[in-house]
Amino acid sequence: MKNRNIASRIWEARIDYLFLIPGGIIFSAFIIFPLVASFYYSTLNWSGFSELSEFVGLENYRELLQDEFFYGAFKRSFIFMLITVPVQMMLGLVLAIILNNKFLKLSTLFRAMIFLPVVAPIAVISIVMALLLSPFNGPINGLFQSLGVVSGAIDFLGSPQLVLWSLAGIFIWKWTGLTMVYWLAALQTVPDELYEAARLDGVKTWQQIIYMVIPIVAPFAIVISLISAIHALNVFPLVQATTEGGPYFSSEVMEVYIFRTAFAPSSGQFPRLGYASAAGVLFGVAVMGLTLLQVMAARSTRKRRQEAELA
Amino acid sequence: MLEPFKGLVSRRKFLKSSTAFSVATFASPSIINAANFMLPTGLPAPNGPLSWLDSGGRKGKFHKAALADYGKEAGIEVIYDGLPWSELGKVLPLGIRNGSAPDTFCLPNNMEGAVAVNENWVQPIEDYIQNFQEWKAGFPEGSFIEGINVFDGVTYGCPYGGQRRYDDAVLFNQNLMNEIGYNHIGATRGFTYDEMRDAAAKMTKAGTPGIIIGGKAAWRWSTAATHLAQRSGATVGTWGLWQGMNFEKGEYDYASDHYVEAVELLLAMRDDGSFFPGVNSLIPPQAREFMTQGAAGMIIQGPWNVPIWQDAAPNFNFGVSPVAAPNESAFGNPLYNPSLMQTGNLMYINRQAKNPEYVGGYLRWLGTLEGQVAYANVGTCADPALFPQVLEQAKLTKPEREMIEMGGRLVRIHPNPSVRNSDVAKVAVAFKQPTLSSGHAIQGLFTGQLSGIRDTLQGLTDARNKALDDAIAKAKTDGAKVDRADFVFSNWNPSEDYGPSQYAEL
Repeated sequence: MKNRNIASRIWEARIDYLFLIPGGIIFSAFIIFPLVASFYYSTLNWSGFSELSEFVGLENYRELLQDEFFYGAFKRSFIFMLITVPVQMMLGLVLAIILNNKFLKLSTLFRAMIFLPVVAPIAVISIVMALLLSPFNGPINGLFQSLGVVSGAIDFLGSPQLVLWSLAGIFIWKWTGLTMVYWLAALQTVPDELYEAARLDGVKTWQQIIYMVIPIVAPFAIVISLISAIHALNVFPLVQATTEGGPYFSSEVMEVYIFRTAFAPSSGQFPRLGYASAAGVLFGVAVMGLTLLQVMAARSTRKRRQEAELA
Repeated sequence: MLEPFKGLVSRRKFLKSSTAFSVATFASPSIINAANFMLPTGLPAPNGPLSWLDSGGRKGKFHKAALADYGKEAGIEVIYDGLPWSELGKVLPLGIRNGSAPDTFCLPNNMEGAVAVNENWVQPIEDYIQNFQEWKAGFPEGSFIEGINVFDGVTYGCPYGGQRRYDDAVLFNQNLMNEIGYNHIGATRGFTYDEMRDAAAKMTKAGTPGIIIGGKAAWRWSTAATHLAQRSGATVGTWGLWQGMNFEKGEYDYASDHYVEAVELLLAMRDDGSFFPGVNSLIPPQAREFMTQGAAGMIIQGPWNVPIWQDAAPNFNFGVSPVAAPNESAFGNPLYNPSLMQTGNLMYINRQAKNPEYVGGYLRWLGTLEGQVAYANVGTCADPALFPQVLEQAKLTKPEREMIEMGGRLVRIHPNPSVRNSDVAKVAVAFKQPTLSSGHAIQGLFTGQLSGIRDTLQGLTDARNKALDDAIAKAKTDGAKVDRADFVFSNWNPSEDYGPSQYAEL
């Protein structure tokens, strides 16, 4: 009886479902299929060269969990995220608040300038940054040395102690413009009347920001941090184009690790697509876990806010 | 009064220059100077274009020009693609699987010929080269080897390049070398370890970093250390699965005194401050370019630098010398390569090739004296021809000839387990190399992330030996008849090539 009801309801809404089919096909082809295929490949011992593959069950996962380089890459991915996301969030918010001021002349020009790195191709940025940061005749080193800040050249991308920080700096420079745009959108939800009322009451600008603006835009922080965090975990183009994960794995994040095992093994070794897929699945699960945490946090914030409004 | 804008080049000067350029361009002869490709008789009508894929470089320059001429003469459109090894390794397997692979290709550099044959990627070349046996007889000994390009007596891989190549030389800025009083170093007299360190330090003190290497590519560290160790007397292989394997013992041997001393030399030059700043951020081509700018005094790199420098920086005054040896008594120690033919350049015919007869016609010409002479003139010392006699006839510059001479004098062929037992290819497939490769280990020691040279190299040795044991066990489980004894060559005299007569003695 219940099934018939569902069937009849679907039939009644058949035109609506018809419109869902193209989207469903695209979603299946580009999201569902790769997810299922990744898991399937992760159970194989397969080089990608051969048509023959060997089913090994969870053996690749077992091996991964004993691989110190996997843990290293995993850790670096999350360290990179923890370095970049808070800085991006803070910097983006500050810039957004400054540039949201309607009385600031040329604010549109400044917004465009800050957003410009976002649209610049990462390959070009990587090459330019490698030249700027070069310890040999690089202008940044030249500046530091001429100012007497350092005596010798700094190897920003070749020093194991500095490389991750240097990459984080490049990443923040490139993507803060995007975070700023998200915050600008959030700031549009602050009613103009509030600003006017605050000004009439003689509230200072910093007090407006702390006690009025930030509490209103705070819930957006969850969504913006989620987007930024996922962005920070997808840094393959930047790392591959600048350091390829080196020197000695010190900038090898998970995506570079997966690429190396899948497509760029050391000389004399065959690629391991199955192993790389298993690493991809584990990393994907971790990112999904992070997303769930943030969704839960967003729900909790929304709930608290609704309760506060009701009270 | 404002003067009219004057560009850097006047109209008259521009016309004069462009006319001269046009005349020079259209009047310049083909780089191959080949008049007759000796086309096979009875070629069928072309089935679409003839497509060719290899790893580019100097040989790519040759094939691009020669195939175009061949296509004109044979009446077939030709598509040449030269891809870096990393790209070739991705593109070719996909092409094979979806049926779009080219008519002829070289294999990814980590793939054994036996695998391609077993997987039905390729077909014998014998059916497409007229008078095959007669043609084959014209090749030097060591050009067709069971287990490398011949399988079960059938020839699959077509050789045309030689591997008696001096793969890592010390190339240096001659002017700087003269200034510090090391003008006696050259092709016939290389550095000792101490001299190299001293020369690098003196150049650095004089204002130019003494030595540069493309250290971002971890494999550059491993080949440099392996070649230094070989010059010290290490009887180990250089490339791929054979790198670091001592064929007298049949074991990986990275922790030997030879390797330890080689790494110590590199670290000593680091400690002296002689390395180019940011050496671990440089890829090998960047390091090469810095040399021509006078930014560094010496580089450990291969013979392919020579024609590149001659083309790109004709005024750069440079010299070449063998890799440094620990002392003068070790100057005769050779570098080792796995075969006389350049296995990376072996060309295979796609099992699904649309124009195999046309591929066969070109490969046939390439394996004649005429083809080899044409190739030698372009390949020079970077990708030398296979026939040794054509190298004498080739038009080579002084450094190119010196590099060829160093290859002849100081490169020897090491035993090859794949030749001894073709089932070793199954071990290569099963081999899971530990993540810590020799290149990464040395890079880690250089950056200070790893400490203790001998302990690190011992760890590397143990890990690779265990991986080889595991691979042998796996191959045996899959039906291969192979044993660790297949890797031991007790009759090897490292000062001589290991050839068919030595294999026959086993």
